[in-house]
Amino acid sequence: MQLKTPANALRLGLMAATCALLSPPTTHAADAPEDDGPWQVDAGLLYYKENEGRVRTIEPVVNVRRNLGDDHIVGFNFAFDSLSGGSPNGAIAAKSKIQTFATPSGSSLTPGSGPQTYVSPSGNTYTTLAKVTLYTIQPGALPLDPNFHDRRISFDANWSQPVSTNVKGTVGGHISDELDFDSLAVNGALSRDFNAKNSTVSFGMNAELDKIKAIGGTPVGGSDYAQLLKTGSKSKHVIGGLLGLTQVISREWVAQLNYSYDRSQGYLTDPYKILSIVDSTGNLMAVSSSTAASPYRFENRPGTRTRQSLYVGNKVALGLQTLDVSYRRGKDDWSVKSDTVDVRLRVPISNDWYIEPHVRWYRQTAAEFYHLYLDQVDAIPQFMSADPRLAGFTATTIGFKVGVDLGGNNELSLRLEQYQQKASERFSSLLNLQGLDLNPSLKSAIVQIGWKMEY
Amino acid sequence: MLNARTALMIFLVASLGTLQGCSTLGVKPWQRDLLARKDMALDANPLDAAIDDHLYFSKEAASGGKGFGGGGCGCN
Repeated sequence: MQLKTPANALRLGLMAATCALLSPPTTHAADAPEDDGPWQVDAGLLYYKENEGRVRTIEPVVNVRRNLGDDHIVGFNFAFDSLSGGSPNGAIAAKSKIQTFATPSGSSLTPGSGPQTYVSPSGNTYTTLAKVTLYTIQPGALPLDPNFHDRRISFDANWSQPVSTNVKGTVGGHISDELDFDSLAVNGALSRDFNAKNSTVSFGMNAELDKIKAIGGTPVGGSDYAQLLKTGSKSKHVIGGLLGLTQVISREWVAQLNYSYDRSQGYLTDPYKILSIVDSTGNLMAVSSSTAASPYRFENRPGTRTRQSLYVGNKVALGLQTLDVSYRRGKDDWSVKSDTVDVRLRVPISNDWYIEPHVRWYRQTAAEFYHLYLDQVDAIPQFMSADPRLAGFTATTIGFKVGVDLGGNNELSLRLEQYQQKASERFSSLLNLQGLDLNPSLKSAIVQIGWKMEY
Repeated sequence: MLNARTALMIFLVASLGTLQGCSTLGVKPWQRDLLARKDMALDANPLDAAIDDHLYFSKEAASGGKGFGGGGCGCN
């Protein structure tokens, strides 16, 4: 009892501190009640790097969890992201023309006084003015905004405890801050065990409020890139629900089935993405032949989005090995349908060491308003985006994780993976776009060092 | 093909079917030795899962499924 006294005091304090907060419901029929225990710390350092000078990220993350006794569990997560590199701006490569763009903080495509120009190793030139940074893209190259950088700090907290016999409640929350984005979310879930804890049904709700503070202002969706019609910050909110069933199938097999539904409303457009307008030969539209000020438009997405998914997860003990296999089917009202298969096999290779190969396969269809580019002869659509993440593509992740038990419940691990996206629509039959890869494959390396400990 | 009502019906039928058929599924308390292994937890590596959710949320149009659908990030 003496041991539990400080835990109870801590429990009350933490419960008060987190009573307005939540994380996704991850109740498990397989879980046994836990006594109060040590702090469990799960720390990681992620390094993520894309090919061709695209985005790179360094992200330290710390997860902390403690069972304060009687299954009163508190958890915290802290993450810091630092991102930099080049991000596709949505425009397509041009065969023979050097293209000039302004960074999001730019206020004009026309250089002012006192420019400073430098040339990157790839031959692209960059011009920095008092408040305007222009960048030029060489013929045949994918337009990447080279000045992409951001940092993100996020904090999550959650609390779970028994509510009554066989019923557990969870509350949690999330807050994060970026240079151009703030997010606040709360969620809660209830789960109930049946059948001698072989079955668990859970239901959770999530509410998120985001503020978009685009660097240089928020462009008016669909407006001419050179007119730079910009407004102040925007917002969006997301309401979601999740129904879950966890079932122990056998001594070796536990399965999970989830159905989730969420609806987003507000500013869902990417304020930094544009589209190219080309003529019938594939050249960028000549500005002199139209009323437009540039051959580019800011993208514009619908103001609502409804998404659903069905998820089936399995854990299977194969002797000393553990198979983790899952499938997810997703769909939204932007016509994006997706399938995801994820397989991991944890293989002990000695008393202390294990290796865990991982394969993930993902496929999505394009959003109904996705275009590689706009055709000059067509009317400008109300909704449009050339964001590669809304294109149809397949993606694969292949890699492995290796870990070693250092004793005393300490574990060190290293994860090495490669992620690759290949778009289904990459080329054009227009004369001056032939031979150009308009949506090149994305390749990235994922390196993660992990350290689990208890104290 | 997967509208909300259909998906919900699939889920409910599967859930009820599972709960109905529970007499043949599941284990006795003394048979939970393998299920009690840390690596047999459905969320055995929450840190990896959180990092993956964040990475894929920033690169793909779909997210979530295991829990709530990502979010909390201006990266997508």
